[in-house]
Amino acid sequence: MRSKQRTIKTSLLLAGLAIVLLVPLLLGRNQYHMVLVTTVLLYGVLATAWNIIGGMGGQLDLAAGAYLGLGAYTAGTLLLRWNVSPWLGMIVGGLVATGFAMLVGLPLFRFGVKEVWYALSSSALVEVLRVLFQMWEEVGGPTERYLPYHVSSWYHLRFASYVPFYYILLAMLLIALFLNVRISRSKLGYYLFALGENEDAAEVLGVDARACKLRALMIYAFLVGAAGGVYACLYGFIHPNFFSSAMSTETAILGIVGGMGITYGPLVAAVLLVSFREFLRASLGGQLEGLYLAVYAVILILIALFRPQGIATFIRDAYGKAMSRLQVTGEKDVVSADSPGL
Amino acid sequence: MDTIIQNTINGALMGCIYALITLGLSIIYGVMNVVNFAHGDFVMLSMYFTFWVGTLWSFDAVATPAVTFPLLFLFGIFAYYVLIDGTLRQKYVTQIAVTVGLQTLLRALAQMIWKAQPRALPYSIIQGNFQVGGITIMLSRLITAAVSIVAIAGVYFFLTKTWPGRAIRAASDDLDAASLTGVNYKRTYALAFGLGSALTALAGGLLMSFQQVDPTMGLRFGLLSWCILALAGLGSIPGLLISGVIVGGTEALTMSLWDPRARSLIVYLIFVLVLWLRPRGLFGRK
Amino acid sequence: MSSQPILQVYDLTKRFGNLVAVNNVSFHINEGEIVGLIGPNGAGKTTLFNAITGLYTPDSGRVVFKGVDTTGLLPHKACQLGMSRTFQVAQSFTSMTVEDAVRVGAYNRCDEKTVAAKVDEVVAFCDLEDIRGQQCGDLGLAPLRRVELARALATDPDLLLLDEAGAGLTPTELAGLMDMLQRLKEDRNVTLCVVEHVMKMVMGICGRIIVLDYGEVIAEGSPDEICTNERVIEAYLGERAVR
Repeated sequence: MRSKQRTIKTSLLLAGLAIVLLVPLLLGRNQYHMVLVTTVLLYGVLATAWNIIGGMGGQLDLAAGAYLGLGAYTAGTLLLRWNVSPWLGMIVGGLVATGFAMLVGLPLFRFGVKEVWYALSSSALVEVLRVLFQMWEEVGGPTERYLPYHVSSWYHLRFASYVPFYYILLAMLLIALFLNVRISRSKLGYYLFALGENEDAAEVLGVDARACKLRALMIYAFLVGAAGGVYACLYGFIHPNFFSSAMSTETAILGIVGGMGITYGPLVAAVLLVSFREFLRASLGGQLEGLYLAVYAVILILIALFRPQGIATFIRDAYGKAMSRLQVTGEKDVVSADSPGL
Repeated sequence: MDTIIQNTINGALMGCIYALITLGLSIIYGVMNVVNFAHGDFVMLSMYFTFWVGTLWSFDAVATPAVTFPLLFLFGIFAYYVLIDGTLRQKYVTQIAVTVGLQTLLRALAQMIWKAQPRALPYSIIQGNFQVGGITIMLSRLITAAVSIVAIAGVYFFLTKTWPGRAIRAASDDLDAASLTGVNYKRTYALAFGLGSALTALAGGLLMSFQQVDPTMGLRFGLLSWCILALAGLGSIPGLLISGVIVGGTEALTMSLWDPRARSLIVYLIFVLVLWLRPRGLFGRK
Repeated sequence: MSSQPILQVYDLTKRFGNLVAVNNVSFHINEGEIVGLIGPNGAGKTTLFNAITGLYTPDSGRVVFKGVDTTGLLPHKACQLGMSRTFQVAQSFTSMTVEDAVRVGAYNRCDEKTVAAKVDEVVAFCDLEDIRGQQCGDLGLAPLRRVELARALATDPDLLLLDEAGAGLTPTELAGLMDMLQRLKEDRNVTLCVVEHVMKMVMGICGRIIVLDYGEVIAEGSPDEICTNERVIEAYLGERAVR
């Protein structure tokens, strides 16, 4: 019974992958559509990375923008000053973000800053970095710093269309998803889930709260930092507004709405919500700038009130029902067989 | 040197209004252990309401609380029943998520309705300055500080001497015991939320007498109030006032010594240091 | 079965503001014993547990576990050394399944290769086979207690501290618990210290009993001795009852 289940799952995943790989071929001509799917992928990466600290670890981190900005500035500055390729730049960007996460997280977790206060301080962190980089004339400053222009160059990560970015971000997303799955099945994953549920109980079972949270934070920061490197190349410049509170909040919203701890949850939310947002932007233009954010907020509130487990649970339940209809299994817990995160 | 002292004093006076804002946050947090993420944006909202009322009916900024105070009070109660009440039993992440949603919503609405342009009211009656020694003190700052202190004292009186006020304090100490003495927790919580929100209306009116408002204000006042709350800790209203003055003065000092843009840096630094080193605050009980 | 002390507590004191919850408490527990810790409500039993296992830091005094000074040690370190506990109010992982919850505990000693086997073993021992796939949030009180116990057991403790594990159980459930605890002691050499109000359990399985009142140790001895101890009766029932 189990192997039949496995076969179905694997074939679904492969089919999904095939479709996703072929998307640019179908949409490649239409610049607008390519922007849309690339943006979806970007947020998918951010939100899936967030899942590690937020969904699994239960810490409401609102500082994604901090790590994104750091990655962007690192990669961008390396390119501007020393002509270092963003391929390397994004790795370094990820490392810088990780280092910063450690700097911030070590004291925070060591002193047991929890729950609300963690969320608050992470929210403020983004704004602080924004101001800092705005004031830091050397590297930042209040205006855009344009990256060297090339029509199409793999070395400089600049292209005439969005298609290469699509594939790069897709690769990052797959890495992020892979990490999620691996972690959720490992000791760290189980420990994080336990911490998110009940920190005191977890601690007496031998879970080192500080070390686990820090590790989760650092992995998440690395992914987001690396994405920041790509982000800079996508836009062609770096600017203090990359340290965006809005993006940070959006990332957390996607993570929560999608389903905290469920590996594919944030991705589902990203696909649905970001598409919707781009659609709004296209039809209303710049008029009602804040509208998409208002809608996001309402959705977050509704989910928090009525379906706190997230929308991915709808998918999970539907999948479960479909499986039992097809009589693939006689057990009750079909899909959650592997780990808490699936 | 004089300028520095002058700025610091004016900053300290601003701190009194900050304390008033934080008082609202403190009541809500103290009573139901919910940190209203949207609190700073409530201030922003009140300031916009003040702008509307002031422009539509030609009220002076300082008179607008007559309208905005009950408005925010009702809004607070509404927000409580719709949003907070349902999540009290949930995991804390869900509780925070709801107020984060509210914050995002308010900010987005402000952006849509009023765009990014700052709005301000024409000059209020309280303006001008006077000299003490070689130092110029702005009348607006002084009067708003005085009004804030009076308001804070008023709330202190309310919480210690009146029945609903004591119900609020009882509920924050021990909900079960309070329930036994007849305190209806839902109504008390709603009252607390309403009061906490309404206080932002008062602060908003005072602020609009000399400041302008734009959609990013929520961020600034939010950070200020969390920082002051952390610094003060729970349980002491005078402590709150003192903490507000400290933060306001330090902010102003930093702005004149270093860079006006650095204001949020120093506030954040204080915030984080307090969280690390003295989580229960300078004057906290728990 | 040696009678080496596995846990030694010296002059432990814990205050909350003006209230002295635990006052200069000293006692020891030998390997292989089942020691009962009883006392009226508010006597400081749970506070004592918390101070020993690291959830609270004692104001003064020492805790020595297996010869190592563990005073004020972080809870997870204490667990890694071999001291585990359960909570009075079941602190469950509501969204996790039973076997996942047990697995969290199992990782204390096991690595990825051996953890699944450990989970199976503990699940079987604690009679959780039927519900292993259910979410903890859906369970009733008795199964939840067993899960709580199983979690702690999975950490492979040398000393297990149980906080009111018997409360609210039906006679059948209680008998099952007592049986399980006996098996723990005999088959797996786990030393137990139980805080209890359910006298049947205390008298039934404890070899030695320590009585706490107002944060102080007022009596220590075998079940029979404690039953007839005047101070104990007085503590529970008041002065009149002694006469």
